[in-house]
Amino acid sequence: MQVTRRKLLQGTAAMAGAFALPRAALAQDVLKIGQVNASPAAEIGWSKQHALGIEAIKSALGDKVEITVVDNTFLPQDAERVFRELASSGHKLMFGTSFSLGQPMQKVAPAFPDAAFEHCSGIVHLDNLGTFEAKYYEGMYVAGIAAGHMSKTGKLGFVGGFPIPDIVGPGNAFLLGARSVNPAITCSIVFMNSWFDPGKEKEAAQALIAQGADVILGMTDTGVCVQVAQEAGVWSVGYASDLTSFGPDSQLTSIVLDWSSEYVAAAEAVLAGTWKSESNWGGLNEGVVTLAPFNAGIPEDVRAKMDEAVAAIKSGALHPYGGEIKDVDGAVKVAAGEVLSDGDIRSMNWLVEGMIGTLG
Amino acid sequence: MELWIAIFAGTMTAATPLLLAALGEVVVEKSGVLNLGIEGMMLIGAAVAFWLAISGWGLPAAFVGGALAGLLSSALFAALALLFMANQSASGLALAIFGTGLSAMIGMGFGSQPVATLKALDLGGLSDLPLIGPLLFSFDPMVYLTLATVPAVWWFLTRTKSGLILRMVGESPENAHAIGYPVLKIRLAAILFGGAMAGLAGAYLSVAYVGIWVENMTAGRGWIALSLVVFAAWRPWRALAGAVLFGGFTILQLHGQILGLPLPSEALSALPYLATIIVLVAISQGRKRRLDVPASLARPYRPGA
Repeated sequence: MQVTRRKLLQGTAAMAGAFALPRAALAQDVLKIGQVNASPAAEIGWSKQHALGIEAIKSALGDKVEITVVDNTFLPQDAERVFRELASSGHKLMFGTSFSLGQPMQKVAPAFPDAAFEHCSGIVHLDNLGTFEAKYYEGMYVAGIAAGHMSKTGKLGFVGGFPIPDIVGPGNAFLLGARSVNPAITCSIVFMNSWFDPGKEKEAAQALIAQGADVILGMTDTGVCVQVAQEAGVWSVGYASDLTSFGPDSQLTSIVLDWSSEYVAAAEAVLAGTWKSESNWGGLNEGVVTLAPFNAGIPEDVRAKMDEAVAAIKSGALHPYGGEIKDVDGAVKVAAGEVLSDGDIRSMNWLVEGMIGTLG
Repeated sequence: MELWIAIFAGTMTAATPLLLAALGEVVVEKSGVLNLGIEGMMLIGAAVAFWLAISGWGLPAAFVGGALAGLLSSALFAALALLFMANQSASGLALAIFGTGLSAMIGMGFGSQPVATLKALDLGGLSDLPLIGPLLFSFDPMVYLTLATVPAVWWFLTRTKSGLILRMVGESPENAHAIGYPVLKIRLAAILFGGAMAGLAGAYLSVAYVGIWVENMTAGRGWIALSLVVFAAWRPWRALAGAVLFGGFTILQLHGQILGLPLPSEALSALPYLATIIVLVAISQGRKRRLDVPASLARPYRPGA
C-alpha cells in the first residue's frame, strides 16, 4: 500500500478521534494490558516466569484483554517513554517487571491517574502504582533443609548478582534452613557484581566447588550453576524456574516463582473496577513461591521434613527468620521467640552466623 | 596446593576466549583495519556453535561452524569498510549491535537446555602425574590449540614474508600498493581471519565453557578482547600475558570472596581491570618507545586514489 499524504492525514485524524472518545466508551472495549521487561525474553529464569504471568491472564480472561509486551527496556529514559506510550495508547494496566523500572513508573503514573501500574519488587507506592514481590526466603529455607541433610562437607555455596537485601536475605534463609539440620554448616556467598554473565557464574560455581562446597545455589538468571554442579557431581538448588533440565541428578529442588495469581488478580480487579494500589507480598502460602519436585536422590525422611517445613511455614507455625538469629560477628539480631519484622526482612543487609563473605 | 591448581586451571579456561578473539584482532589491526565488532561476531559464533552442538552434529562441527559464522559476519564488515569505505568505527559498532540481535534470533528456542561441555584431553599417564599432570595436562583441546596459536601468529607476523607484507599494508597502504601488493585483498584476508577467531571464541564460550545458550552470553568479553589488543601493544605474546593476567584476577577475586577476605566484593570485582591498568602503565613507563600503533589503523584506503 502506498502511503500518500492524504491517507496519512486521514489516519492521524482517525487516531485523534479514537483518543477523543469518552472514557466510558473505552471501558466497554477490551482491557489493554502492557508488560515492560528490562531484560530480553528468555526461556528460563526471571523474565520467563513473568511471561507465564501474562499467559495466565490470557487463559483466564481470553477475549476480554489485549496484551502488549515490551522487552529489553533497561535504560530508565527508554522505560519512561515506553510507559508513556503504553498509557497514552489506552493501556489501563501496566506491569513493570524489574526493580530498575521503578523510577520511570513513578514519573509516568501520576500523569495517567485512571490507569493502574503494578511494579514487581518495587518499594514506592502511589495512588495508582502498586507493588508485588515474592517471599523468596520461605522457599530458600526449605531448600536449605535439603542442603543441610545432603551436604557431606558441611559447606554450601551461594552465587548472587549484587549484595542487596533481595539477594542477601534469601542467602541467609538458605543457610538458616541448613543450620536447622546441622548447626555447624557454613555457606560461602559470592557476588558477581553483574546481573548477567553466564561465564562468570560458571567461574564462581567452580571456585565454590574447588573450595569444598557441595551444594550450590545460584540466585541468578540462568541454569549455569545447576549445570556446573551436575558436571562436578555435587548438589545444587535452582532459582526462578525449575532447572531440572540443566542438572537432573544435581538439582535438589528449585525455588520457582509463580506470579500468575498476582497477574490475574490485578487484571480482574481492573476489569471489575475494584483495583487498588497495594503491596502484595506472597510466599509459599499464596502459591507465589513454589518448590520444584524434590530430587529422587533425597531420602524419604528428608523429603518428609521438607514437606513438614512447607506446611509449617504456610500455617505460620514456622518463620524462617525466627529467633534466635546471630549475625556473623555473633551479635544477637533476632531474640529467641521473636521474628524479624517485614521491614527488616526487606532491608536485610547483614549476614547470619556461619556465612562466609563480605557485603562491602 | 590443590586450591592453587584450581585457580590456575580456572585462569587458563577463563583466558582462552579472550585470547582467541584478541589474537584475531591483532592480525586485523596490524593490517590497518579496526574492527570493533568482536562482541557481535563472538555472539554469532556462540549461537551457531550451540545450534550445531544441540542438533547432534558433535563438538568439532560446532567449532568449525562457529568459526565460519564469525568469518561470514566479518565479511559483512569487510564489505562496508573495504568496498564502501565506510567509517570503520561505525561499521564495527554496527556489526556488534547486529550480531547481538542476529545471535538472539539464531538461538531462539535453545535457551532451556544445556549441551555437554568439552571434556579435558585424556593424556593417559601424563594427566595423572602429581602436580605436573593437573597443571599441564588436564585441559580441553581448545586451550592447547589457543596457546599454540600465540607462537603461530607471532611467527607469521614477524618471521614470514606474508606477515611483513601485512604489516606494511597496516603501516602504509600507499607504499604497499605502489610496489604492487593487493591492499584490499590482504585486508580482507585479515578481517576474515579475525572474524573466524572471534567466532571460535564465541563457540568456546557456548559449547566448551558454559554449555548453555543465553542471549548476550559473552557479557562484554568482546570489548575486553579489544582492549587487550591495545594492552598487548599489538604483540601476540603480550596478548597471552594480558589474557592470563585478566583471567587470573577474575578467578582469584572469586576465590578471595569465598575465603571471606575482609574486602568489599565490589572492590574485588574491580581487581582484574585495576591490575590490567596498573601493568599497562608500568610497562609503558621509562622507555622512549612508541606504542606500536599501526600507522594506518582505521584509515580507509582506496587503491589508486
